[in-house]
Amino acid sequence: MRTLKKEYLLHLMLLPGVIVTLIYAYGPMAGLVMAFQQFEPLAGFFHSDFVGFDNFRYVFELPDFKQVLWNTIVISVFKMILFLLVPLILALLLNEVTRRWFSRFIQSAIFLPFFLSWTVLGGVIIELFSLNGPVNGLLGSLDMEPIMFMLDNHWFRGIIIGSDVWKGMGYNMIVMLAAITGIHATLYEAAEVDGAGRWKQMIHITLPGMAPILILLGVLSLGGILNAGFEQILIMYNPTVYEGADIIDTFVYRLGMFSQQFGPAAAVGFFKSVISLALVAVTYYAAYKYNNYRIF
Amino acid sequence: MRWIKLAKMMLISTMTLSVMAACSNQVKESEGTPAKSSTEDAKTNTAPPEPLGKYPETVTVTQVLGYNPPEDPRTPQGITPEQNAYFKDLKDMLNIEVQYKWTVPSSQFEQKFSLAMASADLPDIMELDQKNFEKLKKQGMLADLTQAYNDYASPALKKYMESDGGFAMKTFTSEGKLLAIPGFEDPFLSTQLLWIRKDWLDNLNLQPPQTMDELEQVARAFVQQDPDQNGKNDTYGIAMQKNLFFWGFDLRGFFNGFGAYPSIGDNQSAWIKDDSGKLVPGLIQPEVKTALGKLQSWYKEGILDKEFALKDENKSVEDITAGKVGISYGEWWYPNWPLNLNVDKDPKAEWIALQIPGLDGPGKSMVPKIRSNKLVVVNKKMKNPEAAIKMINFYIEVGNKKYMDQNKAEKGYVYNWFVPRIYNPAQIDTIYTEVNKALDANQSEITLDDENYKNVADVFKATKDYLAGNTADASKGVNWGQYFSRAAKDGGWGTTRQIKESQAYVNNEFYGLPTATQVEKGSQLDKLMQETFTKIVMGASLDEFDKFVQSWKSLGGDQITQEVNDWYGQQSAK
Repeated sequence: MRTLKKEYLLHLMLLPGVIVTLIYAYGPMAGLVMAFQQFEPLAGFFHSDFVGFDNFRYVFELPDFKQVLWNTIVISVFKMILFLLVPLILALLLNEVTRRWFSRFIQSAIFLPFFLSWTVLGGVIIELFSLNGPVNGLLGSLDMEPIMFMLDNHWFRGIIIGSDVWKGMGYNMIVMLAAITGIHATLYEAAEVDGAGRWKQMIHITLPGMAPILILLGVLSLGGILNAGFEQILIMYNPTVYEGADIIDTFVYRLGMFSQQFGPAAAVGFFKSVISLALVAVTYYAAYKYNNYRIF
Repeated sequence: MRWIKLAKMMLISTMTLSVMAACSNQVKESEGTPAKSSTEDAKTNTAPPEPLGKYPETVTVTQVLGYNPPEDPRTPQGITPEQNAYFKDLKDMLNIEVQYKWTVPSSQFEQKFSLAMASADLPDIMELDQKNFEKLKKQGMLADLTQAYNDYASPALKKYMESDGGFAMKTFTSEGKLLAIPGFEDPFLSTQLLWIRKDWLDNLNLQPPQTMDELEQVARAFVQQDPDQNGKNDTYGIAMQKNLFFWGFDLRGFFNGFGAYPSIGDNQSAWIKDDSGKLVPGLIQPEVKTALGKLQSWYKEGILDKEFALKDENKSVEDITAGKVGISYGEWWYPNWPLNLNVDKDPKAEWIALQIPGLDGPGKSMVPKIRSNKLVVVNKKMKNPEAAIKMINFYIEVGNKKYMDQNKAEKGYVYNWFVPRIYNPAQIDTIYTEVNKALDANQSEITLDDENYKNVADVFKATKDYLAGNTADASKGVNWGQYFSRAAKDGGWGTTRQIKESQAYVNNEFYGLPTATQVEKGSQLDKLMQETFTKIVMGASLDEFDKFVQSWKSLGGDQITQEVNDWYGQQSAK
């Protein structure tokens, strides 16, 4: 209580953020009621009929649902792992670069695609991997058969995952670089005195020093396990690769937007949120228990 | 920092829901305004009713618009839908002002409109397709237009509506209430033709194909024998895109050639009569399998674009324009777009229209019973439903000769942005007959003097210019497009007329509104069809088709068949 009194100004500054969160994050949760209704837009929440768990049953019994759920999990687990691994390696490598201008340049170059939208990038990637595109041109010059990357279930998932990691890796890399900067220089000095080389320093000082931020990034990303990248897939997929690349979000999109089955669509959204919440809770607890790590 | 992250994460995870939750607020208003007071208002406002009477006080109407670029190349650059010159006249003549709630390129319209429906944020006057009509009708969202139509419809509009014996209007009347003014057209406008490059045929000494086998030979030659004689292996056989059944550059006509009738386009399935007089879905008949088998072998051979499954209609159009492909299945209007683009690009290009090739001799195209995908409806909340009727009257009226000097593309009149437009259902045929009459009589001007004047005169001028080689007002392609789609005896409409007369067509027997299960399961069944058919064409086993038939039936297809036959029973009882 005493600290509250002392720091009330700081808390007051939090208020706008809290209010915005309440309005835009918690307020809409009331809309979850739709998941239990035979929702008709004109009747609204108050006059639509309640149907209990019918929407959930309906969705889970759709023949595509299992496939879609599986695709979502596969794609997003790969993305999650690579989104930690690739930026980590990049950050560690960049950290060893001694020429500042060079490391700055590489940093920016890696970060750049993060700012481009999938609407633009999707088209670029489809062109790159098309039958007459540069990738197949390269294969051709190596005397290899051309591959229809975008129309082949084996390749398409890889391209989805790879391109998303390529596009987004800059962000986590910057966060990790910041974490590295935060490690006290005296630790490195002490290690050097003890005779540790660059490699040993990296293993024993840099990596443990980054652990909290790695865990944080991992925990935060787990909540999104059922988000496999809606925009990207919507722009890049086609009927031939539905089998391996139709995900929950694209499925809901077609359900809600084209069939206007709002109730079932909301049910899937609700389902996603519950799974995410459970996962975040579990990993957070695990991180706390085994690593004594806390967000608050 | 951590707080922000957490907040951000929560925000993202509830984003999906928040979009949906924004839906319900506007419900109350709609229930508040009783429909009755509106007609009373209208009466005190303007009495007696006049089809083109001017309101004493400005009436503001809200609309939404999905727009394509202006069709006429003479339209001023950079004009926006809000600046459409029709609105100025509308204000002067009727004192009606149009306000757009939103405008989007038409490719995004369906999605945007779905959102608007979900949030019940609808404009006063709308143009709907049948699916959306059915939804809004079910929700009691549509105004009764019976009285407005009876009081205000102009003689021309009434003539159009009665030209099919009131059949279309009856379809959109529910419990004695007229809920839409259907913009129906001659169903034969949907007839599939085969468009083919005559100059390529000539280069290779080939005859126009009449059977599937001949078509195969021609298509193969178009791939292998360098039909454009540019010394490069850069052509393929038949235009195709990811949607097998669409509004153009698709394969409806190809399937029809096998006696298969899977779809009437726009992903709507088709229904044909079997021997017992029942309606059966064309999509799952064995002929479809045969046709798919042929496509598969063509794909393997390279007659079809290897990456068709990645291409949308725009890519197909690019290929046609660039002279990469010389065969495409499509309707009468092709010359007006996009073949004209190809003609302008390549002066040697010459396209002809053929009746679709069949197994032994020319085949039969599928023709719907009614063609009306544009339904003009009025929001129940609107105070002046008759304004919609007046606006329709207005659009028909300005087709008269006296408006000709004013009503020109270069003055900013963009007709394809003006909604609601109801056409003369026989418009194309009127143009064909009148222009040919004037040509045969060697007239220098059109003598016709009614609301069709502008349409007929425009085509007549283009025809004259094309035949005289005059490109002062428009390019050769544009003139040719007008002429060859609408006026030429062997052109788009000319060929269609011959097909109509020789009865070389099969009807789609189902013309009711989408059934409950169609609305609910439609997109799922559609996905199944697209996925299976695309895979089969690209080399999957043909037996996949039999599996598809089983799944289609059990996933709602059987139920739809039942519903369609129930409708059919009621229909024949009427």
